Amino acid sequence: MFVRTDDKITATQAAVFLNNTLLGAGILTLPRSVSESVKTPDSWISVLLGGAIVMLVVFIMVKISQQFPGKTVFQYAAQITGRVFGGGLCVLLVLYFIIIAGFEIRTLAEVTLFFLLEGTPIWAVILPFLWLSTYLVYGGINSIARVFTIVFPISIMILLISFILSVRLFDINHLRPVLGNGFPPVFAGLKSTVLVFTGVEVTMTLVAFMEKPKLAVKAMLGGLAIPLGLYFLTVVMVIGGISVDSAITSTWPTIDLMRSFEVPGFFFERMEFPFMVIWLMQMFCNFSSFFFQSTLGISQIFKIKIHPIIYAMVPVLFLSAMLPKSMTDLFAFGDAIGKMGIVLFLLLPVLLSVIWLIRVKGLKQHV
Amino acid sequence: MLASIVSYIPGWAIFVQAGVALLVPLVLGYLYKSLYLLVGSGRGQAGYGTRTVPRSQAQSAAGAKSGTPASIPFSGNYTTDLLAVQKAIGANSDLHIREFTIANGGGRGALIYVDGMQNDRILNMRIMQFLMYEIPAGPVSSAEIANQLLPFSQLNEADSVESFNKSVLFGHTALLIEGLPGGLLIELPGGANRTIGEPVSEALLRGPRLGFSEVLSENTSMLRRQGFSDQLEMKTYRAGNTIQRDIVLAYMKDIVNPELLEEVTNRIRKIDIDFLAESGYIEQLIEDNYLSPFQQVQNTERPDRVISALLEGRIAILLDGTPFALIVPVTFSMLLQSPEDYYERWLPGTLLRLLRFAAAFLALMAPSLYISFISFHPGLIPTELAITIIKTRQGVPFPSLIEVLILEIAIEILREAGIRLPKPIGPAMGIVGGLIIGDAAVQAGIVSPFLVIVIAVTAISSFSIPMYSAGITLRLLRFAGMLFAAVLGMYGTILFFLLICCHLTKLKSFGVPYLTPVSPFRLSDWKDLFLRAPMALMKRRPVMMKTKQDKRKS
Repeated sequence: MFVRTDDKITATQAAVFLNNTLLGAGILTLPRSVSESVKTPDSWISVLLGGAIVMLVVFIMVKISQQFPGKTVFQYAAQITGRVFGGGLCVLLVLYFIIIAGFEIRTLAEVTLFFLLEGTPIWAVILPFLWLSTYLVYGGINSIARVFTIVFPISIMILLISFILSVRLFDINHLRPVLGNGFPPVFAGLKSTVLVFTGVEVTMTLVAFMEKPKLAVKAMLGGLAIPLGLYFLTVVMVIGGISVDSAITSTWPTIDLMRSFEVPGFFFERMEFPFMVIWLMQMFCNFSSFFFQSTLGISQIFKIKIHPIIYAMVPVLFLSAMLPKSMTDLFAFGDAIGKMGIVLFLLLPVLLSVIWLIRVKGLKQHV
Repeated sequence: MLASIVSYIPGWAIFVQAGVALLVPLVLGYLYKSLYLLVGSGRGQAGYGTRTVPRSQAQSAAGAKSGTPASIPFSGNYTTDLLAVQKAIGANSDLHIREFTIANGGGRGALIYVDGMQNDRILNMRIMQFLMYEIPAGPVSSAEIANQLLPFSQLNEADSVESFNKSVLFGHTALLIEGLPGGLLIELPGGANRTIGEPVSEALLRGPRLGFSEVLSENTSMLRRQGFSDQLEMKTYRAGNTIQRDIVLAYMKDIVNPELLEEVTNRIRKIDIDFLAESGYIEQLIEDNYLSPFQQVQNTERPDRVISALLEGRIAILLDGTPFALIVPVTFSMLLQSPEDYYERWLPGTLLRLLRFAAAFLALMAPSLYISFISFHPGLIPTELAITIIKTRQGVPFPSLIEVLILEIAIEILREAGIRLPKPIGPAMGIVGGLIIGDAAVQAGIVSPFLVIVIAVTAISSFSIPMYSAGITLRLLRFAGMLFAAVLGMYGTILFFLLICCHLTKLKSFGVPYLTPVSPFRLSDWKDLFLRAPMALMKRRPVMMKTKQDKRKS
């Protein structure tokens, strides 16, 4: 086949897709949110532990998705639990995606307004971004995955360079003592570290798009391991660089870290600028991913063509982004999303797996 | 509870903005679709009218057109045929019909040719002598017999008067002989053409100094002369409704992907236009997306470039009457490659290639970066640099966008004027325009000296791109980038970059994604992307072309 017409992505693309879906707002806020709940320098253990839990979750999601090759969760949920109940679950999932997308774009707008474009009306920031994303999503999963493959290496490279350069601020004493207060603070931090991986639900649709679904476990866990590693690095470098106390008080601790050192003899002097650039691109990927997932969901639940839904989704996403009235609202919003994520996890992969197991293994039904 | 929910319902202004958010993509999408359908319909789909035909079928197809009175076949009667020819094209004053009587046997004949297309001396002396005195006795009753009897290397039989006339006027020398059922075309046209020289638009320091010329047969022979091979296949098609021209498809039979070949053939067959003046016409008629600013077909004047493209599994399209050959498919990275990369050793080749990528980035982004840094975020560049720039900009009365536009447009006009100027004046114009105007503009306080540097670097960068047409694309997009930067600063510039990425990932050239091998990711093709790996490492043909056999080495 010289001209490809099927909408399939390779294992690498799927891994990059998952990575770019997860790596987003968390880079800037995770050090604060996790430190707030842990209050000791042990947040990095929380990140690792949270990552391990999410890995398990992803594993379950991949396994249940692999039972229905070529079908997304929006299609097989109805198969497992019946049209009405499954449809209801999926509508919840779509709502969840819409809310995350709104949250992402609002965070982006707030950061941009704060650091780059002071005094610009917020719609002027959100609208062009939204339109550009519409253009991308219109091209289907293949275009999205390709843009992700372009952005991915650039952002990884600059992220790593930024962190390597910030080593000069790194003080290992900021990370000590390890487990000074025992494990309870670590578990308290789990809440916010699991939240940072909100969006892993896309796994349940990604597997359906893979050329070789057998590689799904590897690809998805790989795609999860990269953001996990980067989040871990972020927390370690930020807390090691500016200490727990300032991480708690700062709104965007990672940017504060980037601002607090200078690289003499370099064109930019501070890594803040390249860091903002890749973060914006990463947010674009992030947002486009959720945009795509939510349109795909509606299209598959209600069996409508996807293109009109893309258009219809634009104002919905805009409204969802404009709902929070202030930064405090926004962060509360983020927490709510995390809680929703946990509920949805219990509802979707777990409930679906259990029902599927009962029906296939217990009742010997053909699903 | 309810009150708190109600308090979160946004005001009417937000809803208006949401409406705008919906309206803009709807309108843009509708515009795009209707513009695309207006021109692009049917492209790349099999079975949509075929206009262009292989040359062997050209005559019969021409004959099949009903209603044209000239499509009558030769009657076989000498007098009638000659009269028919005379009636159709005899009014041309440059047409000569030389009638003669054959000495042995006494049959009549006529030699028909056009002025200036043949060497008259040879025609008169040699051919006439033979035809009148040396031709063996006995009737020449068919083309096969004529083939054996007549001492011409090139001998074709025309089966209809119409195609016969066309060939005669195109420059073939033709022969009508009593008793022969058709007309014979005996000599190839040999009109005036220029000597073969070095390609002007793609000069190289190292490499063959050979460029295509305007004559198709010379161009194909140049390709053949690149080396011994029995796999280089060329197929001729004829296109054009009013004036027909020959198109040659060249490819390596054992390498090219048959599906790609079929796709290209299909698109060539669909060409429906009255005259192909240059290969640019073909390019625009067969490209995938005519709304894209990026070219989806590569053009070149260099036979060596064509042949190495063929070896990668690509297809060349040559048109009679132009030195520019087309190569399909093309990807973005190929536009930044030069044959010299391969002729030099791999380290310098790699360095030059990286330099070109950097130049392309600068040519596209430098002015927008300048605008966003100066107008929006002077805090993001080192303080001392920012102070220096702002100091030099103090007297400038315009915002940075206008400042950049003044110089950019001046440079573009200079460049456009430089192409048209006669050679002796060109450099003088460059000095007057570039140096004096630039200097005077700074002195007059219209622009800042730093900006002159930025614009100069941008202009030079865009010259360093080996494909002229790719350079135009970047020049065009640069202005769009400047607008984005002027409205939203750095944020706008990033959006612009992402927009280009989004567009490029959607773009395809004959089924090959435009950004391969970056995305979709093809690791083995990276050897020839930013780096030019040593020859010994490049063992395989590019994966993206999906060639029939992929090994370069045995």
